[in-house]
This record gives sequence, C-alpha cells and structure tokens, in this order.
Amino acid sequence: MVSHPTTARPRPLSPNVQIYRPQLTSVLSILNRITGILLSACAVFLVVWLVAVARGPQAYAPVQAAIASWIGRIALFGATFAFFLHLCGGIRHLVWDTVHGFELRSIYISGWTVVATSVVLTVAAWAASASMGG
Amino acid sequence: MDPQNMQSTRSPLARAIGLGSAKEGVGPWWAERVSAVALVPLTLWFAASTIAHIDSDYATVIVWLKMPLTAVMMILLLIALFYHTALGLQVVIEDYVHSATKFAAVIAVRLGCCAFVTAGIVAIVRITLSSSE
Amino acid sequence: MIIKSSDQVPRVTLLKRFPLPRNFGVSSESRIKQGRTWPAPAGAVRVKPFEIYRYEPDSGENPRLDTFQVDLDDCGPMVLDALIWIKNKIDSTLTFRRSCREGVCGSCAMNIDGTNWLACTRFISDLGTPATIYPLANMRVIKDLVPDLTHVFAQYTMIEPWLQSKTPEPVRERLQSAEERSKIDGYYECILCFCCTSGCPSHWWNGDRFLGPAVLLQAWRWLTDSRDEAKEGRLDNLEDPFRLYRCHTILNCTRTCPKGLNPGKAIAEIKKTMIERRS
Repeated sequence: MVSHPTTARPRPLSPNVQIYRPQLTSVLSILNRITGILLSACAVFLVVWLVAVARGPQAYAPVQAAIASWIGRIALFGATFAFFLHLCGGIRHLVWDTVHGFELRSIYISGWTVVATSVVLTVAAWAASASMGG
Repeated sequence: MDPQNMQSTRSPLARAIGLGSAKEGVGPWWAERVSAVALVPLTLWFAASTIAHIDSDYATVIVWLKMPLTAVMMILLLIALFYHTALGLQVVIEDYVHSATKFAAVIAVRLGCCAFVTAGIVAIVRITLSSSE
Repeated sequence: MIIKSSDQVPRVTLLKRFPLPRNFGVSSESRIKQGRTWPAPAGAVRVKPFEIYRYEPDSGENPRLDTFQVDLDDCGPMVLDALIWIKNKIDSTLTFRRSCREGVCGSCAMNIDGTNWLACTRFISDLGTPATIYPLANMRVIKDLVPDLTHVFAQYTMIEPWLQSKTPEPVRERLQSAEERSKIDGYYECILCFCCTSGCPSHWWNGDRFLGPAVLLQAWRWLTDSRDEAKEGRLDNLEDPFRLYRCHTILNCTRTCPKGLNPGKAIAEIKKTMIERRS
C-alpha cells in the first residue's frame, strides 16, 4: 500500500461534487439540510413576531405590514414550502431510524412521496388560507 | 485535515485513529429525534393557526394568544423548536467548519438559541398577563 | 424514476453532474486541464467517445481529461473491456486496477458517468455520449484511475475486522444456528471496493474522521456475528460524533453499491444498537 508520493509534489484529489451525479438520495438530503437552515431563520422571526405582539399595537404594525407586503407573502410561501419539505423529509428520516424502508425501491418511492406531499400540502395550506378570508 | 498528503511520519493507522473515540455521541442524536417527534404535532398546530389568523388584526391575535392553550402550545413549540435548531445547526457547523472558528460558532448558536427561546417565552408570558384592551 | 435495484442504470438524466465549474473549489494541484484528443482508429464504424481522467505523477503537470474514440466492434461490452482496448490499441500508459473481470474483487471501482461502479460490470451501452470516466471520487490519485486507498484501509483496520473472543477456543467448530448465520447475510459479501465510501458526501467533507459506509458496514458485520464476544469494545469504539454520527442517512451508498448491499441500513442498525444499549 503506497502511502507517500514518490516525488515531493502532493497527489491531486479526484473530483467529488464537481462530477458526481445528483441523485434523489443526495438531492433530497441536501434539501432537507437547506430547508432546516431556512427554518432556523424562521424560528428567529417567530420570536421577533411574538416580541412585537407583546410590545403593543404600535410595535406590531410594521411587522404586520411586512408580512402583508408582496415580499412578505413570497417569503411566507417559500417558508411554507420549506416547512412542509422539512416536515415530510424529517418523518422519512424518523422512519429510517426505526430501520425500515431501506430497500432501494422503498427509498425512491418514499423520496418522491415526500416531494409530492410537500407540494400538495403547500398548495392546500395556501388555498385554505385564501378561502378563510385572506 | 487531509491525512494522506501531509508529509508525516505518522502511520496511516495512527492518523485514522486520531484522538480515539469520544465514547459519546448518542445523546445529541437521540435528543434531535425526540425533539423532532415533539415538533411534528406542534408545528402542524402552528401552521394551522397561522393559516387561520394570517390576516387577522392585532386585537384578534391578542385574544388568541391570551388563551391558556395557545400559550402552553406556543411555549412548548419554542422550546422544542430551538432545541432541535441548536442540535441541527451544531451538526451543520461541525460538518463544514474545521478550524477553531467551529467552537466559537457552536457556542454562538447554542447561546443564541437560549436567548431567543427566553425572549419568546417572556413575550408570551407578558401577553398572557397583560390586561385586556 | 423508481430505482428497484442498484444495478438499474438511471434512465432519466436531468443532470449528469451539478452545474458547477469543472474546477470549483479545487486546490491547485488537483485542477483538471484540457487534455489530448486521440483519433478514432482507421476503418472504425461504431465509435464512442470516452473522456478519461489522466494524471502522470512524474510529469509535474496537473491532471487532464483525455478523449478517446473507442471502436465498439473491436472491444467487449463492458467499460473495463473499453479501458483494456484503449490500453492495447491507443495509449499503453493508461493505468487502472483490475483483476477478476467479473465483479467480485473490487479492483476496478471507478466513477463512471457520475456514479461509482465496477468497470467490469457496467455495460458500455448504458453510458452517455461522451462517456466520462473518473477515478473514485474524493480520493488521492496515484496515477490515472488508480486511487490511494491507504486511509480507508487504515479506517478498516481500526474497527478490528476479526473474530474476538475471551471464551477458550472450542475443540471443533464455534456453533452458530442457521438463523444466527443469516444475520450476517447482506454484510459479509462486501468486496471492499469503496464505491460507497467514495460516493458519500459526508466522507468527502469529513473523511479524515468519519469512517464511511464500507467500514461501518463491516463494523456491523462483526457486531451482528453471534460468535463475536467483543461487542462492548466495538460499540465504544464507534460511539463518536465523527466516526459514526457524521452519517446523515444521505443514502448515496446504498444507491451506488455494485454488489447490491445496503450500508445505509447497516449504519441504521448500529445507531439503533447504540440506543438499545443505554435504554
């Protein structure tokens, strides 16, 4: 087993993320991580919102205006989709932690189910919100 | 942190062993799962509440938040959410940051989550105890 | 869209690789430059282009990407046949590991069209045009398609992959029921090709400390062997935020195993055992 290059020149590293094929496994996993980080920011915003409510209507007005603005709406829509993706992906992870669903066929079926369910739930949530008077 | 290109006299086995096993690690992993299980119903409740109250005015929101059930669920949500967030972000930082900044970042995340959850709980308590308008 | 077994080649290709620059985030000695294009042999009718990663340690140059035109009527059906054809007919300096040519030794593991697989069991007809051949991902390259496996084998040594017992040796066999023997099915068949470890993003970013799917699958093979008596030491050795818990169930490993094994499941079993032993 050769452990040191014969010349002083360091050995090159073969490419990894630059050439590896994106597959459902790795793509859904990185999406779960990205949505998790986004939701951490949303958690901070939740606290900001609660503090604004506690401080009274004058402090709450700009927060409410930001949520109602079109940027706020787009952000909220994105946050909803991120939330449902992370929720469904998280449940998929919890099922794996019970050592179920590891056959490749199951991995792929559960993966596509997560994507489809997230889209459906996001659309349903916004439809429900629109019908309730928003 | 590349064990093979360093011109080192350490054997490959010694480099693989590193500082040895920490003999702990299941704690945070389990806590992340328990908080995840708690978050499933809590966040679904929160999502449903947000849908119902998306365009409510201040007075309606206050009435809703002053209800004891809402206060309890909100506090539980904040605790589970920030606990899960702290654990998750620590894992992300450990994955990608390999310098001494890692420790500063992990401390910042943990203390930040403590600060935010405290601020949130104080806000809820203030809302609950405030006199009705 | 639904992959039923790991030897099912992806038919739908949205992206063969992430749309990153070829040398994104790559250190200077690893940057790949444009290489030679070798002409097709005279009289060849069915020709397929192969882009192959080349690296010459004694030349002082960076790695490059050579393009070969392989005469499909003159070589066998597998990618290994194409590599041997190129070495025989076009460029004899092309260097790669190979031995059994039937998918049981693990020597010819490499990255073919973006996924790690054995060259001797991948059909040329399953590849895109041009076919891209790289060494196993994220490995130090000794030459051309030959990766330096020293570190991953050191990690394998570290888990002590042999039977350990304190009970004195029996006069004849160590007894094991059929049911107990079936527990190591799906784990003992690993040929240590390291396709899985090399395809694991967590091992890419933390390979110095994270053991990776191949080694962890073997760790489970010994944990679940009823004849082994060293479970406590093995589990203590594994319980570490990096050695075991850098696994985030990405499952690139199970997707890419050329023997159809399931390292992701083995690691989940280890994590479950970690919980069971403290509850």
